[in-house]
Amino acid sequence: MLASIGLIAFAMLAAVPLAARLDQRAGWLLALAPLGAFIHFLTQMPTVAGGGVIESTLAWVPALGVELAFRLDGLSLLFALLITGIGTLIVLYAGAYLSEHHHLGRFYAYLLGFMAAMLGLVLADDLIAMFVFWELTSVTSFLLIAFQHDKAESRRSALQALLITGGGGLALLAGLILLGNVGGSWQFSGLSAQAIADHALYPAILVLVLIGAFTKSAQLPFHLWLPNAMAAPTPVSAYLHSATMVKAGVYLLARLNPALGGSTSWGTILITVGAATALVGAVLAIRQTDLKRVLAYTTVTVLGQLTMLLGTNTHYGLQAFAIYLVAHAFYKAALFMAVGSIDHATGTRQIALLGGLIRHMPLTGFAVALAAFSNAGLPPFFGFIAKEFKYAGLIELGLAGWVTTAVMILTNALLLTAAGLVFVRAFLGREGRYPHPPHEVGVPMWIGPMLLAIGGFVFGAFNNLAEVWLIDAAVQAVSRATVPVSLYLWGGFTPALLASLLTVALGVSFYLQRTRLRRRLSLWRVLWRVSGDRIWDRLLKRVFAFATRVADRFQHGSLRQHISALVLAIAGFALIGLFASTGEDLAWPAVSSPVNLAALLGCVLAVAGAAAAAVTPGRVALVATLGASGLGMAMFFLAARAPDVAITQLMVETLTVIFLALVLRRLPPTRLVGSRKPAAKRFHAVVAIVIGAVVAAMMLMTVSQPLPGEIARWYLDNSLPGGQGANVVNVILVDFRALDTLGEILVVGLAGLAAAGLLAGGRREDEAAPGAGATEGSADFGSVLLRQGILPLSALLALVALMLLWRGHNLPGGGFIGGLVAASAAVLVALAFGTTRARALLRVPPLAMLAGGLGIAAVAGLVGLFHGEPFLTGNWIFPAGLPLGTPLLFDVGVFLTVLGAVLHMLLGLLEREA
Amino acid sequence: MEILVSLTVGALVAIGIWMMLDRGLLRVVLGVVVLGNGVNLAVFSAGRLDGRAAAFVTEAGAPALAANPLPQALVLTAIVIGFALFVFALAVLKRSWELHGKVETDLVTAVAEEPAPDLPPQGDKA
Repeated sequence: MLASIGLIAFAMLAAVPLAARLDQRAGWLLALAPLGAFIHFLTQMPTVAGGGVIESTLAWVPALGVELAFRLDGLSLLFALLITGIGTLIVLYAGAYLSEHHHLGRFYAYLLGFMAAMLGLVLADDLIAMFVFWELTSVTSFLLIAFQHDKAESRRSALQALLITGGGGLALLAGLILLGNVGGSWQFSGLSAQAIADHALYPAILVLVLIGAFTKSAQLPFHLWLPNAMAAPTPVSAYLHSATMVKAGVYLLARLNPALGGSTSWGTILITVGAATALVGAVLAIRQTDLKRVLAYTTVTVLGQLTMLLGTNTHYGLQAFAIYLVAHAFYKAALFMAVGSIDHATGTRQIALLGGLIRHMPLTGFAVALAAFSNAGLPPFFGFIAKEFKYAGLIELGLAGWVTTAVMILTNALLLTAAGLVFVRAFLGREGRYPHPPHEVGVPMWIGPMLLAIGGFVFGAFNNLAEVWLIDAAVQAVSRATVPVSLYLWGGFTPALLASLLTVALGVSFYLQRTRLRRRLSLWRVLWRVSGDRIWDRLLKRVFAFATRVADRFQHGSLRQHISALVLAIAGFALIGLFASTGEDLAWPAVSSPVNLAALLGCVLAVAGAAAAAVTPGRVALVATLGASGLGMAMFFLAARAPDVAITQLMVETLTVIFLALVLRRLPPTRLVGSRKPAAKRFHAVVAIVIGAVVAAMMLMTVSQPLPGEIARWYLDNSLPGGQGANVVNVILVDFRALDTLGEILVVGLAGLAAAGLLAGGRREDEAAPGAGATEGSADFGSVLLRQGILPLSALLALVALMLLWRGHNLPGGGFIGGLVAASAAVLVALAFGTTRARALLRVPPLAMLAGGLGIAAVAGLVGLFHGEPFLTGNWIFPAGLPLGTPLLFDVGVFLTVLGAVLHMLLGLLEREA
Repeated sequence: MEILVSLTVGALVAIGIWMMLDRGLLRVVLGVVVLGNGVNLAVFSAGRLDGRAAAFVTEAGAPALAANPLPQALVLTAIVIGFALFVFALAVLKRSWELHGKVETDLVTAVAEEPAPDLPPQGDKA
């Protein structure tokens, strides 16, 4: 089961490269995937027909009880066979139909992707998995409908379909989540109908699930998207509107009928909405002049009828549902494909221009004849049996049934008229006025309609076959209790037969009077003015206008206003939190550690430097004050017993000053501080002071409480025994929390790449040659003595860096610090001797260093996997008593990443500057 | 120490935000650095300040009043990441000066938000 979905998904991946090599011949190869799946499902028929189910489960989100659970019962099998069987024919058909199209491969990929999603939908037993596939069908059908995306109509239709079905999908998700909670299971097969029916949330579940199903199955008033989706290429229409997309909603209703179908409201809603949909679809169908749109609206009718039948929940009704589902899929796919062939062969789908095609397209014509008979519900076709059972099912309902039977008779009569339009009008009679001289289409284009049309005949004439292998098991899966299934062509003189005769009489007279009928219908001008499409357009316009208003209000583009609003909001919420907590928390700190002089000095320096940087206009002063502030930070960290942090801060400050000085040289001086308007300046000062005060209060409240938990102690106790390191901070970085570090060096690497790209990008034309920007060294370092001193100093720094890296596991140091120190050494060389010399000395390009560092870190993590342990678990060996382990290797990766990133940015900047 | 640190964090945050509200983009970028320093200090201090010895252990075990190593590790990486992002912000600043000749926040926003060439002009966005 899973393999069949996988096979089709694989074909999807292979479609584009295959089509690039083989053009439309790729279709023959790709069709093997759905064919294989089809055969697979055929072999499952004996099991399922015998009342068995086939299940397979894959854990997905075990913590939430969500599984990729698949379950093949009668209903799923029926759908799976339709999806893969018709899918095979459609893939073949599409190859010929779109043979000229330059994106044929992409089309195959979309089509197969849709097929896989649809198959997943009908096989999934898990509510959430089903929903995911449900949404996937929405997305892939969007791609299919918008396939001819150069046409505005296609784009509009695709968006409409996506918005309607996607919006319904949201409702469905809410409904399914409620259903899972109330029903006591996340599997369809495990839902308890009793628990759901008795629950207070039953109405909510019902409404939400029905919105989802109705949007997908184009029930009134969501039917708009279906006819508009005719903008898609014909193979798409044939597939989406016969067996798949639109049937997904009906499938869901059928699937949930055992769990939800017990109430009167279920039946009432389904029958009412279904009847209204069927009626509207049938009336609109007769008004169309485009053959494809006629078919599209009859699909709306059929979906309405199917919904009605499910609502009846009678024995005949459910049998009719299953029979009609198959009959409709057969004839509608055949007719859609045939209409595409007509379009292909004659260049038009306008009914008025067609006629007498049987002389030119005998094979297509024969297929259309068979399909149209089934569509019209004439014996001995499968459609006839469906129609008889439909009437029988509705009549079983009693009094209410007669009203709905009247609707059914009327809509069926109109379907018969539509069938007449497709076959009699287009294929018989006198020659039409075709834009092109018509010709019979190739094998891949007539084989599909032919097989499906013959299938409709075979199932009708030998209905025992369908009953035993397909319909029986499907009906049992839909029904709430066992239903005796028995198909027949001739049931004696029953009310259903009478209704059938009435239908044929009405339908034939409608067909003969079609011109007058259409004129009559056109008289109801008021009715046509209430076009759903116009309402839709107006609605969408309103939504966009509203969105624009809202966005303009909040996204005004002023950074300062954004920051002010954000900061004030944060301060406000924090204040609420402060006051909401108990009063005693706001008291002056209970515990207080003695103030350390170095820490005090550090703090004063940090604040004073920052304050000076905030108000000073000069560039040099800016660099100096900011550097001083950072120095103060480092001092504080040192005083607070965090040597590693202090060294890191120190190194970073050094590099910050260098980068800042290099960039500031190129920027204009900043004369003005703050805003121009005094009022704005005052406001900004208030904002800053408010947030500062609130943050200070929060800090005070936090640090005056004793630290909860034992995390710190755990790290201290396990660092040496578990991590082989005395420097706990380093052990945390490269062992205990190495995954965090891996993510962090990835960020550093990416920031380095992005910054270097920005710094070096967009060179002028004359600089485009590689290495053109290489510098010869700054004149500021022109002194011979200085230059002579710098090389040994750099070498020493590099040695120190390596030493820091090595000893970091036990003493202050490590990859981060070592990397920064090494970067400083290289920066010195680059500044004094130019980037060419620096690159030559480095030997390895910084980019390679960066990538290599990330790679080494990742590889160090993989070692653990080979030992069957989680990613990044430390592994140690002790050759000659020397502890060597993957955390050390990991630290080397950190070292190289940091070094590479800094140098990549710096060399890019320097070379750009030149 | 607790009071000292709290006031320092508050002051750094206030100064950082004030700088971010400046007209010039350069001071905004530097404001992010100052704010970052304040936040780093806050995270660091959240591990409490009652440590009397650095977080180094020996065979005999950890010192009784060792500093909390976890926030130190967090802050250490935060400093390096902050630096990388600072350089990135500088690069953006420099680039916008080169491309547009503007280093004022509102003007940069205005030039950066020109409609994409393939979209219809603002007038008929409805």
